[in-house]
Amino acid sequence: MMRKRKLFLSMLMAASLSVFTLAGCGGSREGSSSSTESATNTAEETADETDAAEEEGDAAEETAAGEGFEADATIGISLPWLGTQNWKEAQDMFTEQLEAEGFTALVQAADQKVPQQQQQIESMIQNGAKVIVVGPVDGTQLGSVLEEAKDAGVYVLGYDRLIENTDAVDGVVQFGSVRTGELQGQALLDGLKAEKGDGPYNIELFGGGPADPNAPNFFTGAMSVLQPEIDAGNLVVVSGQTDFTQCATEDWDNSKAQKRMDSLLAGNYSDKQIDGVLSPNDGIGRAIITACEDAGQDIPVVTGLDAENESVEWVWQGKQYCTVAKPTQDLVAKTVEIIKSLQAGEGMPAYEVKTNNGKIDVPIYELDPVVVTKDNAQEVFANDPDRLELLK
Amino acid sequence: MKTIKQVLGGDLRQYTMVLALAVLIIVFNVISGGRMLTPSNFQNLLSGNAYVLILALGMLMVIVIGQIDLSVGSVAGFSGMVMALAARDYNLPWWLAVLLALAIGAVVGAWNGFFVAKLGIPGFITTLGSWMMFRGLVIWISQSISVPAPEELRFFGAGYLPEWGPTFTGMNNSTLVLGLIGIVCFAYFQLKNHKRQGEIAGGVQDPMWAVVTRIVLVSALIGYFTWLYGSGRAGTSFPIPGLILLILIIIYHTLTQRTTFGRHVYAVGGNKNAAALSGVNVSRTYFLTFMNMSMLAAVAGILFVGRATAAGPADGTSWEMDAIASVFIGGAAVSGGVGTIIATMVGGLVMAVLNNGLMLMGVGSDKTQVIKGLVLLAAVAFDVYNKSAGRPSIIGRLFGSGEEKKEG
Amino acid sequence: MASNSLILEMRGITKEFPGVKALDNVTLKVDNDSIHSICGENGAGKSTLMKVLSGVYPYGTYEGSIFFQGQEMRFKNIKESESAGIVIIHQELTMIPELSVTENIFMGNEITNNGLINWHEERRRTVDLLEKVGLNIDPDTLIKHMGVGQQQLVEIAKALSKNVKLLILDEPTSALNEDDSANLLELMRGLKKDGITCIMISHKLNEIAAISDAVTVIRDGQTVESYEVVAGQVDEDKIIRSMVGRSIENRYPEHESHPGDIIFEVSNWCVEDAEVSGKMLCKNSSFNVRAGEIVGFAGLMGAGRTELMRSLFGRNFGIYKSGTIKIHGKEVELTSVESAIEHGIAYVPEDRKTLGLNLLDSIRKTIVAADLKKILSGWLLNPDKELAAAEEYRKALRIKTASVDVGVNTLSGGNQQKVVLSKWMFTEPDVLILDEPTRGIDVGAKYEIYKLIHELADQGKAVIMVSSELPELLGVVDRIYTIFEGTITGELPASEADQESLMKRMTVTSAA
Repeated sequence: MMRKRKLFLSMLMAASLSVFTLAGCGGSREGSSSSTESATNTAEETADETDAAEEEGDAAEETAAGEGFEADATIGISLPWLGTQNWKEAQDMFTEQLEAEGFTALVQAADQKVPQQQQQIESMIQNGAKVIVVGPVDGTQLGSVLEEAKDAGVYVLGYDRLIENTDAVDGVVQFGSVRTGELQGQALLDGLKAEKGDGPYNIELFGGGPADPNAPNFFTGAMSVLQPEIDAGNLVVVSGQTDFTQCATEDWDNSKAQKRMDSLLAGNYSDKQIDGVLSPNDGIGRAIITACEDAGQDIPVVTGLDAENESVEWVWQGKQYCTVAKPTQDLVAKTVEIIKSLQAGEGMPAYEVKTNNGKIDVPIYELDPVVVTKDNAQEVFANDPDRLELLK
Repeated sequence: MKTIKQVLGGDLRQYTMVLALAVLIIVFNVISGGRMLTPSNFQNLLSGNAYVLILALGMLMVIVIGQIDLSVGSVAGFSGMVMALAARDYNLPWWLAVLLALAIGAVVGAWNGFFVAKLGIPGFITTLGSWMMFRGLVIWISQSISVPAPEELRFFGAGYLPEWGPTFTGMNNSTLVLGLIGIVCFAYFQLKNHKRQGEIAGGVQDPMWAVVTRIVLVSALIGYFTWLYGSGRAGTSFPIPGLILLILIIIYHTLTQRTTFGRHVYAVGGNKNAAALSGVNVSRTYFLTFMNMSMLAAVAGILFVGRATAAGPADGTSWEMDAIASVFIGGAAVSGGVGTIIATMVGGLVMAVLNNGLMLMGVGSDKTQVIKGLVLLAAVAFDVYNKSAGRPSIIGRLFGSGEEKKEG
Repeated sequence: MASNSLILEMRGITKEFPGVKALDNVTLKVDNDSIHSICGENGAGKSTLMKVLSGVYPYGTYEGSIFFQGQEMRFKNIKESESAGIVIIHQELTMIPELSVTENIFMGNEITNNGLINWHEERRRTVDLLEKVGLNIDPDTLIKHMGVGQQQLVEIAKALSKNVKLLILDEPTSALNEDDSANLLELMRGLKKDGITCIMISHKLNEIAAISDAVTVIRDGQTVESYEVVAGQVDEDKIIRSMVGRSIENRYPEHESHPGDIIFEVSNWCVEDAEVSGKMLCKNSSFNVRAGEIVGFAGLMGAGRTELMRSLFGRNFGIYKSGTIKIHGKEVELTSVESAIEHGIAYVPEDRKTLGLNLLDSIRKTIVAADLKKILSGWLLNPDKELAAAEEYRKALRIKTASVDVGVNTLSGGNQQKVVLSKWMFTEPDVLILDEPTRGIDVGAKYEIYKLIHELADQGKAVIMVSSELPELLGVVDRIYTIFEGTITGELPASEADQESLMKRMTVTSAA
């Protein structure tokens, strides 16, 4: 028995050693040839052309159509995480739509960890992706890996969030984030007038996760609407916290927002009613509402973002005043449209806006979000059977 | 069988993990259709994991001494952030910013060390405190916004050995030289060791043919990896973070195995009271170990910022867990006193290769986490099973080297 | 002795470890209601035999058969042997210091009602059990507040709670003082009357002689002899002869000291307890040792012998209050163990496993551990010098091992102690303090250690030996100080001392 096992193990050992050397040789041959593979070469040329085009200016860039790539090429999608509904939806839609178009979709999520996202992008390059769509965990921290992608001739598209601090990005698809903020601010004003009678109104402000480059933009957008009203005395921020750093919610973490709301209420509203709260997204909005309920306050006018299922229900029930839908559907569709254009060799489609990301001016493909209140919910979600189901 | 044993030489248990690593690499290479063993993938493997492996170097010593340091991730993030801010807001030259980051590591280490060594507070609690403190400080000083780092740091975090000399070698010449140095050093030390074994009474001398076979095999392995790293796309070669890691491995291997301080670390971890009665300054050993850990955390933070091109407010989150996992997969004991630098590096590489291979296969991060967790448990369970039962390891059994256990 | 029927018979037990035959065809027969002693050197196979009996080594891993109360037993684990009525009490006590007597006694066998512990019943039964073992304490007392002797009794109470029929005691008195030891032996006699058979493993021949009904001697994994004896009339020398396989004419080697100048002198040494402020561990202790002289310290456990020695060794214990140390006539301030070692003092602690050794280390690393400077080449430790040193001491002290690279945990007690001594001899001390240097090691190894102590003295070193065994002190040292409650109560040349005169000074504070 003992001897048999010994023999078996020794054979296993010998076998694996020899496989090791063999596989080593095999792998290396592929390794060396990969750099001379024709596809990669053309891709590199494409990248070079794009480089040149960038130097020549915007106009040239649009016409810098490459040769495209195979119709069944691998497309890498790197998402920051799957912890909220919109990212989960993005994962499903990308897989579905890319496969429907005949591409090979490689969709991965990074658990909100920068190093993990870096490694995922690298493995996508290894897997021969032609386009990598990145919803960054932190838009500034992908410089080296994206440059690797660029060197390997891969197109890089930002998804939903700006990619900063690198020139290795071809374009970003997102909802206008300042615009989103403006819509939230306006919705808060409208809601207050509609539900809380005459002013002045007591309000509090919340911001999103500071590591997300969109978060300050939302806040800026909202404040551009609210600040004049605050200055005019129509709105009163009772806590006095109007700075983004004061209002920010670390990691978009609902529980942190709820804690902050608890202490704001305890500290400032023992003898006051709160009328409205600016919330950067639905999760935080619901946390705020819960905190107000716990504190025995009437539910204030609360904004939101993302049209998460639960918030759509709450809007329908009148608990949450509004949410802003950034239909993931639209965002994914736009991204896939760009990928198809690249595949056909037509280069990046035309764009309207460019934003400086610290290194270069990045083309932005901007989409408009939609404010959803109880009044227009059925209308907005007319084409969305899942959410329509919630409005019953 | 005895032949293989003679060729491998030394303690056979340490080969278990090396074997596991080799099997992993081969299996992934086959499954992924050869995408594992490519120059660029192995370059990524090193530059993408150097920061964790560097943390594991220090963590090994902390764990051997019977403590734990939970603050390394936060400290790495904090040092990196201070460096980036100093360079951006105070226009410090990049090298001064790097020195500042290292100094911060040293100061934080002294802080941790003070509580552990002088006040006798367990490392777990001390560093739990530091973990929170420095996580908070990173967010505080950065206003939670990422800060771009000086360009020069890219070289440390994601650079490659320079290109020079003739092209007929067909690969990057720096890498080639590095590989040759490796082979020569290995052969030199093997032969020197062989000669020494012969001279010392009581030493057992391996036969010459075994030594030569060992040299040939290892040279082939080094040669292969030299070629793998050197033959990638033009402009790439052996990565700089890999080189930094390599140098640190050599330094820390020597430090733990061949210096008085290293001995003291093992002595304190093995039996604190006996060490104290043997003239070991226990509290100084604790202090220096913690200080060293935080300095390495700063190094890891610098490399990471270099690669990421910016310091972010969430940098370092849960890095300590990856470092700790590497140490334990490498066979260190939770109770202290046991573990080596080399085994820890192998443990770290097992984790890295697993991560990398699963990503290449397109396995989601959820499932990857599950698999990594299982591997950690399996590795430690395997080790504990072997030790508690007093059995020779599978490898030991394989070569029939029964470890004899006398009854007391 | 009436020949009762056998309670236990172990037939032809053979147990092999890879490469070693730990037990070779061992036979053991134990009568009902008797006290059966098993003797043998450390490493002879006694513990292995008991592990086979109690199911630590399950059926199938050894050859031979076990009959208990007439039935063949095939224990798979300790639980099975315990339910059959065989309980083993290990040398190292296994109780949890932070828990109460009751909790420890019922640990693993809690009395429960619907999943909840029935405290009332447990406490009631604990009181009964404690009464049986003659312990008059509150069942809620925490174990950490009890002395070792009391703890030992609680262990026995725990065994009684399991309906024990055969109680195995492994070195039960090794950590006990004389009173507690006598108390324990008395208890064993009482148990015998209550129908509980005891197997006692011991090195203390006087105890074996005092209570045994039968003796079995094991050497090198084999039964050497087994015979019935009459308690109180046992030929100790006969046991020793069969244990070591040779006759030892004298248990203590002949030696004549040639004391030189006083090289170690302590005056008015005062040390306070670090945990209980105001409590003095050493009170105005003064003594001296000459070069080439062996000085013994006699005192009961807890008298402050170890505390005194450890506080002298770089203030390693307690809080230093006052007093001076002179080495070679020069006053020195030893504030750390390092400085004590630098000044040529070495201290071999009483507890080898917890204070003397890092059990994870190899022999070679242990031997050089107290003076790493000696094996430095530049900045680095030189493995060649280390190996050479280790080999030197292995040969000089005849440490029985295949290689100096094996772990110290694989050695027997005597060899471990030799490694500890090597470690301190390697520092080349002038003053060597040995705290219980022969505790827990067998007769043969003891003899070798005594000879080693004599050699060290002959080399001109000042040797201090602390021991609880008075015959040992009388047989080995030149001069004896007695100590009681932290005070040195007397000083006698060994030639003029006997056990009674020492014991008097160890138990009464001298009025002067």
